[in-house]
Amino acid sequence: MALILIKFGTNNPAERFKLANASSDDDVVLIQNGIYWALNDAKQYTAARVYAIKEDFLARGYDEPDSKVPLINYAQFVELIEKHPKTIS
Amino acid sequence: MKKLLFVAYQSPVGSIWVNEAFRTAFGMYGEDLEPAVLLLDEACVALSKKTKPESLGLLPLSICHRYIKNYGTPVFAVKEDLEQFKVKELDENFSAKVLTKQDLKDFIHQFDYVIFM
Amino acid sequence: MMKITIQVMVPPYTYEDLDTAIKIAEAAIEKGHEVSLFLFADSVLCINKNVKPIRIDRNIPQKLKEMIAAGKLRVDICGICMDYRGVTGEMIVEGAKPSGLPELAQLIYSSDRFISLMA
Repeated sequence: MALILIKFGTNNPAERFKLANASSDDDVVLIQNGIYWALNDAKQYTAARVYAIKEDFLARGYDEPDSKVPLINYAQFVELIEKHPKTIS
Repeated sequence: MKKLLFVAYQSPVGSIWVNEAFRTAFGMYGEDLEPAVLLLDEACVALSKKTKPESLGLLPLSICHRYIKNYGTPVFAVKEDLEQFKVKELDENFSAKVLTKQDLKDFIHQFDYVIFM
Repeated sequence: MMKITIQVMVPPYTYEDLDTAIKIAEAAIEKGHEVSLFLFADSVLCINKNVKPIRIDRNIPQKLKEMIAAGKLRVDICGICMDYRGVTGEMIVEGAKPSGLPELAQLIYSSDRFISLMA
């Protein structure tokens, strides 16, 4: 069980590695350009639960309904940090 | 004791991250921390006996060898990456252990912090 | 209350990482956590008090200085990374500390949470 941070889009090999090797009890947070993953159904690329930072998503020209994953704020991000002693980032 | 995995994935020639992954790993031994290094994707080229950043005037990888030996820092690479980047002969100074793609999920979840560079 | 350390590796302004780190830090501090920032590689440029962004842009060194002054944030800077980039001790904002890998190891060991924003 770990918190996984994704900051690059879908062409980045490290991010593809993290998502492909995530477990179903991991939580993934998409930050910065990582939000581009949120445009597709998370089940296609990872076993983990996926969230995206709302302000990073909206700043890139999308509307909330465009995200296929729940959008969270930084307070909710910190709750996920609190939840997970282990990180993959 | 916390287990740390430093992961470099960018080329060892032309970017600093393989060197920095090792340098940071070696810096952890003053505390009760157990570091390891994983060379993923293009970074696996660091393990080739013939890779020489110093031929371009860049920092050599060989400066890591003595520390790997002294500290016993575990170094890992992935078989499929080594094949993809046609790494023929591994430099034995890294004493690298080769994982396969299917090992990776369990492998990365053994660590407290997996730190990508 | 948790002790949370955030590591950053890439330069400010070129990338969003310092902004992300500051927002995580603010949200964590708001919840009563103790936050440390470790500046590694090119991210050390963000602590130079001579940084002068255009007026409409955010002033990252100034922001960090204010957070340190408020007693909410600790900032450690990789000393070798400073040397490599010509950032001297006189250039850095008040309250930030040049340190090194022993301090990073100590932070990683003693923190309840450690997150790194990759390069």
